[in-house]
Amino acid sequence: MTVTKPHVLLLGEIRHAKAEWEALSDVATLSVCDSANREEFIKDLKGKYSDVVAVYRTFGSVAISGRFDAELLKEFPSSFKYICHNGAGYDQIDVAPCTERDIHISNCPSTVDDATADVNMFLILGALRNFNEAMVSLRKGNWNAGVPLSNDPEGKVLGILGMGGIGRALKKRAEAFGMTVQYYNRNELSTELAAGAKYVSFDELLATSDVLSLNLPLNPKTRHTINKEAFEKMKDGIVIVNTARGAVMDEAALVDALESGKVKNVGLDVFEAEPKIHPGLLSNEKVILLPHMGTLTYETQKKMEIQVLDNIRAALTTGKLNTIVPEQVSLQ
Amino acid sequence: MTKPHVLLLGDVLHARAEWEALSDVATLSVCDSSTKEEFIKDLAGKYSDVAAVYHCHMDDAKPGANINQELLEALPPSLKFICHHGAGYDMIDVNACTRKGILVSNTPGAVDDATADVNMFLVLGALREFNLAMTNLRKGNWNAGVPLSHDPEGKVLGILGMGGIGRALKRRAQGFGMITQYHNRKPLSEEMAAGAKYVSFDELLATSDVISMNLPLNAHTRHIINKEAIAKMKDGVIIVNTARGPVIDEQALVDALESGKVRCAGLDVFEAEPKIHPGLLANEKVILLPHVGTATYETRKKMEITVINNIRSAITGAKLLNVVPEQIHFAP
Repeated sequence: MTVTKPHVLLLGEIRHAKAEWEALSDVATLSVCDSANREEFIKDLKGKYSDVVAVYRTFGSVAISGRFDAELLKEFPSSFKYICHNGAGYDQIDVAPCTERDIHISNCPSTVDDATADVNMFLILGALRNFNEAMVSLRKGNWNAGVPLSNDPEGKVLGILGMGGIGRALKKRAEAFGMTVQYYNRNELSTELAAGAKYVSFDELLATSDVLSLNLPLNPKTRHTINKEAFEKMKDGIVIVNTARGAVMDEAALVDALESGKVKNVGLDVFEAEPKIHPGLLSNEKVILLPHMGTLTYETQKKMEIQVLDNIRAALTTGKLNTIVPEQVSLQ
Repeated sequence: MTKPHVLLLGDVLHARAEWEALSDVATLSVCDSSTKEEFIKDLAGKYSDVAAVYHCHMDDAKPGANINQELLEALPPSLKFICHHGAGYDMIDVNACTRKGILVSNTPGAVDDATADVNMFLVLGALREFNLAMTNLRKGNWNAGVPLSHDPEGKVLGILGMGGIGRALKRRAQGFGMITQYHNRKPLSEEMAAGAKYVSFDELLATSDVISMNLPLNAHTRHIINKEAIAKMKDGVIIVNTARGPVIDEQALVDALESGKVRCAGLDVFEAEPKIHPGLLANEKVILLPHVGTATYETRKKMEITVINNIRSAITGAKLLNVVPEQIHFAP
C-alpha cells in the first residue's frame, strides 16, 4: 500500500538551498507555484493545489499572491496546515484568520539577526557621523568642504525599541563602540538575555535616548508607534534608525521632525510605502538610506532558506513547527 | 623672568579655555604670517624666541604646514618642542627635527575611537557593498540589480599596524563576529593583543578576507600595498584604509578593483587627497569618505587638549607626554 506524501508548495524562489529543497522529496511531494497572479492562484488552490498541506512563501511572492489576508485564506483548501514564511517580519500574513482556521505560521527569527544588526549598526554610525553628507560631498568633487563636525557614538545612550534577536544582536555591536544600551519590550527580558541592558518604559526610552533604534515587528498594534506625539517626547537632536518595517514610523511626521531639527539625522533601511520614498527624505543629503538590504547576503539568505525548509520538514514529520510565530505559540 | 613663548600654527577651535589657560606658564601667540616667506622672516623677528609650537594639520599652502629641512633651518634655536595636532605626523621630518634637537609629539589615544568608528563603517560598507545600494536608491532604482554581498561574521580581518587604532578596530570587529589577525613592527604582548593572532606580512596578505591599513606613513611604508602585495592576497579581498593614502599604490588598487582581485574597497584617505583617482570615483561599489577620521566635536576637543597638555608638560617639565615613537630614545 502506498501512502501519498503530503503536498508542499513553493510560492516564490529558492536560490541557495536548492539541494535542501529537493531533499524534502523524501517526505513530501514538491510543487513550484506557477500561478501568474492572485486570481489564478485562487483558481489553482481549487485545482492542482487543492491538497496542499504546507506552503513555503517568500517576501517577494506577495507580487503574485498579494497579502495572505482573510480573503485569500478563505480560498485555501481544507488540507492546508502550515505557512512557512521566509523572513523575520511576517506582516504580509494576517495571523488572526490563520489561527481561526488552525493554520500555523513559522517565520525566520535568529537567522536574520546578525545581518540585520550589521545594517542597523552601519546606519547608526552613518547617521551619528553624518557620513552621507560627507560621501555626497566627495562624489560631487567638493572633498569635505562645508561638511560640519559630527558626534561620536561613545558614551551615547542607544534606546532599542523591541529587544528580540535583532535588538540583542545590535546591543552587542553598539557596546563595542562604547554606547550604553537601554530597551523597551512588550515584556522585560530575563537578566541573562538582557545582558546588562536597562529596561525602561516606552516614554522613558523616548525621553532619554540619544539614538533610537526601531527593532519591533509590524502589526496592527505597532503601526505608527513613532508618530508626531512620540517625536515631541524625544530629546532635541535625537538620531533615529529603522531596520524593522517602515510603517512603525509615520514617515511624514519624521520628515517634519528632520526639518525642524528635532531629529538631527536618520538612518533607514525600510520605508512606509517602499519602494516609494517620501520626497522629503530623498532631498535630504544628511540622511543615510538603504533599499531594504537587511539580510541580502549569500550566507544569510541560505541560512534563512534552510530555516524555512527545516520548519517544513519538522511540521510534516512531527506535526510541530520549529519557529512558530509568537502569537501562535499556545497552539502547539 | 619672561614666560616661554608658545606659537600656535593653525587654530584651536574647541579647547579655547584650555589654550588660554596656558598663559599662566607661557606667552601665547597665534601665527599671523600670511605667506611662507613672511613666516621665515617672522621666525627671525617676532617669533625668534619661540620655545614650543602647537602645530596643526593644515593645507599644504599654509605657512608652517610642512616641517621640512628648509623650514627647520629657519627655526630659532630656542625652539625645542613641536606639539602636533594629529596622530599622523608624516608632514613633519622627524629625523631632521632630531638632528636639530627638537622633540615632536602627536596625539595618539585621542584619535583611536573616532578613527576606528570610521574604519568599521568602511569595513561594513565595503563587505556589504552598501555604496552601490545607496546610490541605486538615490537614483530611484530601489535595490534593482544590486547583487547579494557577504556577512562579516566568521571572516578574517587582517590589521596592518596594531597600534591604538588597530586595537580599537579589533574590539569593534569582534562585535560583528570577525576573527582578527595582525602584522606589526613587533608582536604585541598577550594582554595588548587580546586574542588577535600575530602573523607575518605575507601571511596577513594571503589569509585575510579583509585587510585594514592602520600603520603610519613614512619612508618604509609608502606603497607597502602595491601590485606585488595585491597579487599575494585572496581573490575577492576587501581593502580598507583610514591611515594615509600613500601606504597604498592607488593605481594598483584601481587595477585590482577592475580585475575583481579586490572585490571592494573602503577609503577615508587618498594618495593625493583631495584629488582622487578617477578610477575610484567612477566605481559605484567602493565606499569613499573625505578624510573624516576624527571629525567629531568630542574627538577634536580631546585632541586639542592632548596637544595643550603636551605643551604644558614641555614648558614646565621639559618633556613631552606623547613623544613620537622615533624619538623615544632621545627624550628625557
